[in-house]
Amino acid sequence: MKGLVLAGGTGSRLRPITHTGPKQLVPVANKPVIQYGIEDLRDADITEIGVVLGNKGREEIQAFLGDGSAFDVDITYIIQGEPLGLAHAAGCAREFVGDDDFVMYLGDNILKQGIGEFVESFRSGDYTAGIALQAVGNPQQFGIADVTEDGTVSALIEKPDDPPRDLALIGIYVFSPAVFDAIEQLEPSWRGELEITDAIQALIDDGEAIDSHVVEGWWKDTGKPEDILDANRLVLEDTPGERAGTIAEGAEVTGRVALAETATIGEGAVVRGPVTIGPETTIGQETYLGPYTAVGANCHIENAHVENSVIVGDSEITANETIVDSLLGRGATIRSAEGLRPAGQRLVIGENSNLKL
Amino acid sequence: MRIITITCPECGTVVAANELEANRTMKCPGLGCEHVLRFDDMAESERGYFLDHREQYRL
Repeated sequence: MKGLVLAGGTGSRLRPITHTGPKQLVPVANKPVIQYGIEDLRDADITEIGVVLGNKGREEIQAFLGDGSAFDVDITYIIQGEPLGLAHAAGCAREFVGDDDFVMYLGDNILKQGIGEFVESFRSGDYTAGIALQAVGNPQQFGIADVTEDGTVSALIEKPDDPPRDLALIGIYVFSPAVFDAIEQLEPSWRGELEITDAIQALIDDGEAIDSHVVEGWWKDTGKPEDILDANRLVLEDTPGERAGTIAEGAEVTGRVALAETATIGEGAVVRGPVTIGPETTIGQETYLGPYTAVGANCHIENAHVENSVIVGDSEITANETIVDSLLGRGATIRSAEGLRPAGQRLVIGENSNLKL
Repeated sequence: MRIITITCPECGTVVAANELEANRTMKCPGLGCEHVLRFDDMAESERGYFLDHREQYRL
């Protein structure tokens, strides 16, 4: 079995963070989102992985993943170019996949429990495809699967007004190569894309057996800033804290705090986990770092109160302010305006930024 | 819809025809690969099909 990680898309809902990099490299608990998918595939013994790239962030993703050896996998790149839909992305991988089955994993998704059970469920029967599902509270906003008692999918319905079930497709699929013939028969949808749900529906209409697997534990699509914060909270909830770095006398550190070897928590700082702090980062005096915060590498925080936030890296925060529920892009600085005249906040804000002051 | 790709003979990187046609000639986007890919390297039948249906391959 092979793996296919889809890493295209424009990341428009994550602007301005994605003005300067792809959404798949936004860190959750100090690890780029795409790494979770790669590791899930590897943990399911899938090590031949195709990574489908669009036009945005291609080189950054290649620079991060390399040939895959750093993650114990073998990566082949597939350049989709125009984002012509998930089915088009899959179709571009036909030669790479060959006669194997393959798992298709959206590169901005994170799952708590991995994909081992999902893959086993597919392998246990004579299925042409399998879809991962999760119960949602607002099925009208998702693609929904109607399934029989034995878990076989009988229909897919996109954002139904009157949903028959609450089981949403979560963006992780397993296919036999038969899907490629179904994709070839598709026409672009109203939005000009080849839809993977249309390909699966075509398989259902042809009488093929489609497995479903309801994923237990949480799942997050990290498409929006609030999703990044949610995912960060959920991952940190399960992350053991390893305090490899330096904690000064007079610092107060409680709970699970993952402290990189070259990171420092200085005297007078208060850190309450779950928190993760990246390499070469210093948490200075009079700082409170509260639960569910991830601070990336090369940051300096002093005098600030930061809680439930993601600081990507290379940041300096020295303003005596309280920062909560925030996502700070790489290189962002927040310094004090105290003493400056005229009094007031001084902002350099990129396009599509979102502030609540 | 027919999906047409070309595979770099040196590194195995796959490039969709729509990407290659946009550039006509491009250095293989594979990591460290110096091979040059050309739209004209594709089979004539594939090039012809793509050019006859190019609007399908654009958003």
